[in-house]
Amino acid sequence: MNNPYLPYPVRIAEIRVETEDKNLRTFKFEFLNPEDEGKFAYLPGQFAELSVPGQGEIPIGIASSPSEKGFVLFTVNRVGQVSSYMHNMKAGDVMGIRGPLGHPYPLDKLKGRNLVIIAGGFAVTTLRSTITYLLQPEIRPDYGKITFIYGARTPGLLLYKDEWMAWEKRDDIDVFVTIDREVPNWGYRVGFVPAVTKEVCPPPENTSALICGPPVMIKFTQPVLEEAGYQAENIIMSLENRMKCGLGICGRCNVGPEYVCKDGPVFTLAQLNRLPKEY
Amino acid sequence: MPQLSEITNKIRESARKALESGKAEVVIGYRQGTIPLTTAPFFARTAEECDQLVWSNFARINLANYLSGRTGKVALVAKGCDARSAVGQVTENQILKDNLYIIGVPCSGMIDNNLVTAKEPRPISEAVETTDESITVKGGGFSTEIQKADVLRRNCATCVNRTPKLADELVGPEINGGAADDFADIKALLGKSLEERMAYFKDLIKDCLRCYACRNACPLCYCPICFVDETRPQWLGKSTDSMDTMTFHLLRGLHCAGRCTSCGACETACPVNIKVREFNRVMELTVQSNWRYEPGLSWDQKPPLTMFQTDDAADFIK
Amino acid sequence: MTEYIVKQNALADFFKSLASGRRLLTPRGTGDKCKLGETPPDQVTLEYTNTHLSPKSLLFPQTERLMAFHNERDKPNGYVYQSLGDNGEPTVVFGIRPCDARGISISNKVFQNDRFTDPYWKGKIDQTVFVGLACDAPSPQCFCAAMGGSPFGESGLDALAFRQGGDLGLKTLTDKGAELIKAAGAQEANLADEIKKLEATAIEAQGVKADYKPIDDLDLMDLFKDPHWVATAENCLNCGVCTFFCPTCHCFDIQDEASERGGVRMRNWDTCMSWLFTVHGTGHNPRPTKTERVRQRFMHKLKYIPLKQDGVRGCTGCGRCVAMCPVNIDIRSVALKMTQTAPSPA
Repeated sequence: MNNPYLPYPVRIAEIRVETEDKNLRTFKFEFLNPEDEGKFAYLPGQFAELSVPGQGEIPIGIASSPSEKGFVLFTVNRVGQVSSYMHNMKAGDVMGIRGPLGHPYPLDKLKGRNLVIIAGGFAVTTLRSTITYLLQPEIRPDYGKITFIYGARTPGLLLYKDEWMAWEKRDDIDVFVTIDREVPNWGYRVGFVPAVTKEVCPPPENTSALICGPPVMIKFTQPVLEEAGYQAENIIMSLENRMKCGLGICGRCNVGPEYVCKDGPVFTLAQLNRLPKEY
Repeated sequence: MPQLSEITNKIRESARKALESGKAEVVIGYRQGTIPLTTAPFFARTAEECDQLVWSNFARINLANYLSGRTGKVALVAKGCDARSAVGQVTENQILKDNLYIIGVPCSGMIDNNLVTAKEPRPISEAVETTDESITVKGGGFSTEIQKADVLRRNCATCVNRTPKLADELVGPEINGGAADDFADIKALLGKSLEERMAYFKDLIKDCLRCYACRNACPLCYCPICFVDETRPQWLGKSTDSMDTMTFHLLRGLHCAGRCTSCGACETACPVNIKVREFNRVMELTVQSNWRYEPGLSWDQKPPLTMFQTDDAADFIK
Repeated sequence: MTEYIVKQNALADFFKSLASGRRLLTPRGTGDKCKLGETPPDQVTLEYTNTHLSPKSLLFPQTERLMAFHNERDKPNGYVYQSLGDNGEPTVVFGIRPCDARGISISNKVFQNDRFTDPYWKGKIDQTVFVGLACDAPSPQCFCAAMGGSPFGESGLDALAFRQGGDLGLKTLTDKGAELIKAAGAQEANLADEIKKLEATAIEAQGVKADYKPIDDLDLMDLFKDPHWVATAENCLNCGVCTFFCPTCHCFDIQDEASERGGVRMRNWDTCMSWLFTVHGTGHNPRPTKTERVRQRFMHKLKYIPLKQDGVRGCTGCGRCVAMCPVNIDIRSVALKMTQTAPSPA
């Protein structure tokens, strides 16, 4: 029988330091057993448990897109025991990944709509997956206008620089990157994400917003969208809570009757408005 | 023979006065339990709520446990042992002395439910208590009177501090203690080999679930994060591994050394009836014989293991 | 569903047959030592109130080793977790109480949920046949009927046994149960009316007649926001006794323990009463004080589980938490307070 607790063994193919404080690194994993890649079929917005034998597991959003074959990407912030341990691992080391877990962004249901994708700090990971996926030539025509707003405190804390710079040059996505405070030689926007959103977000008609960021960013961006006329059904967010099993069994990540791991992590604001704010 | 209702009335009166006079914003006492043979801690904030306070032969939980970290003014209904724990909370800087008003209840000891059910194994649906000398338990077709002296908790049977001497007021006549704990069994145990001692304690905790009710019921265990819960570094495994379980009990025993007032809350809370106090009694004996110190009997004396003095006994360090 | 009877003088053979080819677990010991244990067929007793801890550990042990690895990084499968198996074995449980069987059926929907199946749970439950023993003498703390169960409840059972004078009546409830009981030589009998009568008497004998139905109809957020939670939680010690004794509490922690040579990944019972249970890596805690944690426990039992399980409550009325709570937080009183929640204007 399939054992959802058992990680697929993977080898670290590459580790990229993402931020100048070196607290964020992107791990590129290749499956030890090639047939596991097919079993790990995922969609943007899902997450996995990264599993280090003897250390434990951490739930991390999948940063790669299903369209990227042969590997999976995860960007890991150094906070606890497992992530700190991972930051000392090197290419070639073996560990495990378990998933995919949770529900993806409902991209299927959003076909034909405009999308505004709003990211703050390192919560951009699953939105990187989303944009990479949406920009595939065979997928891009299914959607209307795509707007990407991405903010971080400083330029050195922005992830995936090569990628958003490349997206910026395209004409099928509008990219607005912002930092909190002016610094020399910064050629992009300055200001908090909510302010930039207010300025550039498209009209709410036939548009859905995907938001992922720190609680403070979400707290102040949400009213901006509501004032702009966005319905709660069309504001889509991804939650984080402490998790262990990822399967809706071990019990700790619940928000009311819903488990963030199994029933989320993606919820619409309309759903969250009917649930306790225990996240 | 004091009637419980008399003490109850005096507690209510004192509680109302404490609230009215501004000595306290809340009175922590006991109310009647929802099942036989129990009381529940209760927080009275109005004169009306004071009418729910009771005195009982089942007032086992140590209410000083609710003091640590409190900022407002509080009145505490306290037995001898609880009052000593409350004094400990003050000397260990967990609550300001000025914020604490102790309503002392001279105590003739509390009942151990396990001893009651040993005497009357039939399901008990009601317990009637009018005095502090006996109770009557009732159930389907029976009514049995039980003398309190026969079912006292072990710590209560050897209590010598029945009257809370440092209380701000007493709600009943002083009660003197009987024979103190002579620690005969502990002394005999300590005379045995290391292996025998280890075997004794291993057997003692074999049913432990690590629910930590003992720790959480203990007024001494106020650490914001207990060492068993620390994750970075994680000192202890979380499984039912017997060494991890033993480490928890040994370290808790050591942390409580020279601070435990034998209130028995740990044993009352333990859902699998482990004699948790055995660890504390070893330390109690050690501290008493090395420093002649008994906790909670003075406002300005600190527990010996939190102090260093050049003439401290050192022969126990090997 | 067929009824059977086993005459007093045939009981020994009946239990012998139950135990043949599998282990027979029944309640053993008294008081706080009463628990399910392997029982020789001639030592089965019908005289007990209930096991001290709920029997959930049979399917969900307090500590369960899930997988292991060897630290031989250079060899194939080195440093890679391998499952340690489910450790299930053919088992018949005789004498589980209907409240506890109901607890297992509630947890079963969590361990085998709409998306995932827990193989360690499934491996054990699939090999176990549950024969319950109905309660004819409820303990003073029993309130299964008020929670929607019954002393003759059938949920989670393969067969229900009940005492009929000195004989043992039986009602089979699943194919698994029917096969077992038939093979054990019980005689068919028409006992449906008898069961109804006995059940009514047993329900009548339970003291608690409270009606918790208003909770089902109240809005989740109204229940959640009600101010009573502060007072309800005020005397809670935040120990884990209620959760450890509860037949439906199923929360666990996953932990790795490693040495130089390898390690295991295990799960251990955990408790929502603990601050650690929900704290984020950043230090943020969605349930920072005991008020939120106590509310979580009761909301989970009485609102969240019913919402997810077609109205079935997550409390089976076994009474263990009521009896064991060191500070007498009584779920029956809490449930009553919840029924008194004022609905917010629509």
